[in-house]
Amino acid sequence: MKKLIIILSVLLTTGILSFGQASDVLRSGCVMSAGSNAKFLKDFRIELGKAGTKADFRYKANMSLWKNTKYRFSLCNAENSKGELVLTIKDNANKVILSSFDKEGKIYPFVDFVCNKSGIYQLNFDFLDGQQGSGVGVVSMIR
Amino acid sequence: MKGKVFFIIVIVAIFFACRNSSNKESQFVFPDADSVPVSEAEKLSPEAIADISKNISSPVEIANLLQTMNVPFSQNYLASSIDANKQSTSFDKSLKLGILGADLGYLNMYERTGSSLEVLSSIRKLAEDIKVGQFFDFESIRRLSQNKSNLDSLLFISIDSYSKIDNYLRSNKRGQFSSLMIIGVWLEAQYLATQVVKEYPDKMLSDRIGEQKIILNDLLLLINPYCNRDPEFTGLCKDLQDIKDKYRDVRITFTQGEPVSTEKNGGLVITQTETSNVEMTKEQLDGIIEITKNIRDKLILNN
Repeated sequence: MKKLIIILSVLLTTGILSFGQASDVLRSGCVMSAGSNAKFLKDFRIELGKAGTKADFRYKANMSLWKNTKYRFSLCNAENSKGELVLTIKDNANKVILSSFDKEGKIYPFVDFVCNKSGIYQLNFDFLDGQQGSGVGVVSMIR
Repeated sequence: MKGKVFFIIVIVAIFFACRNSSNKESQFVFPDADSVPVSEAEKLSPEAIADISKNISSPVEIANLLQTMNVPFSQNYLASSIDANKQSTSFDKSLKLGILGADLGYLNMYERTGSSLEVLSSIRKLAEDIKVGQFFDFESIRRLSQNKSNLDSLLFISIDSYSKIDNYLRSNKRGQFSSLMIIGVWLEAQYLATQVVKEYPDKMLSDRIGEQKIILNDLLLLINPYCNRDPEFTGLCKDLQDIKDKYRDVRITFTQGEPVSTEKNGGLVITQTETSNVEMTKEQLDGIIEITKNIRDKLILNN
């Protein structure tokens, strides 16, 4: 909580929030929600409309992940989001190695990934069932 | 009728324009070739190049690995000889902005706030010189640097500032400077890792150095469009190719396995059982250490 206040104070004093960008509050809140043992690496801002047809995940980004590292993927949704942000990660063979939701429909707010194979992975974000939504995916490193 | 056709064309054009800008549908291509043809690099879309820039590992990850190994902090690894006031070209300024960015990440992770303020002052000068100073939140970073309890916030603001600079340069047709900055970050992190492994031999660290083969193609893709631009770019392209040559016989093999998942504290924990393994001889590692040092030293001494 203390860290969230610090980040928000920094954003306020630098004028970022003065433009009314609620998205930055969501972003900084999501970074801090990763926990005190997490070191921030990257974040992805995802804003999607409702999908026309059921399709593959719509927001894709590549990222290198390294062996012997434990990553945390935190997923945060804006209040006005119609759907919940979900993530799958594929390896270079296009095999899904991680999913933030299961077949029963349970959605996890964060996923820790103990990486044992270095490589470039594909991060796929979308809102469940192709819903309209706004959210942030944060990648941190944890010990 | 003509009006209707025109209307349909406009709608279709808007649809595709929006699709390209908002939905990142870039193809996932794993780099496996030993060389990257210049023509291939030239064909890359700005989105694909932006995606590549996100692939490059963060110096924070290297610093974290060093801390895991209990390697003490050393001022000797830093590019202290860089004088921000003596950088004459935008090439030098951008490259050194990257090098100092990696040093800042290393200093932040080791909570060396006094030194990070010096580096920060050089970063400020270089960023202002290439007209991107507005994206670097110097005052916040300086303030956070003075309080060691704010490490997370400090990392967030520092990395965010560099991401904003990268995005701005790419979207304003100054992608060559962004590429230089990213290469500078990578080169300095690689220098740090190779110097430490020389002093503190460690399998995990030497593997991480060997694994850089995976992203070397990406680095070359970033710089290749500019290789014939001027002698500075041509020289850097050759330097990176020389590093890549040292990796030619380093092998990375993989073993198969299915991920194992468990639930913990409301989240999911996935442990990958598939593994990557680096096959690299001592001579190959020594060659990589040497070429990295030579190139990095040449670039930072070239004030």
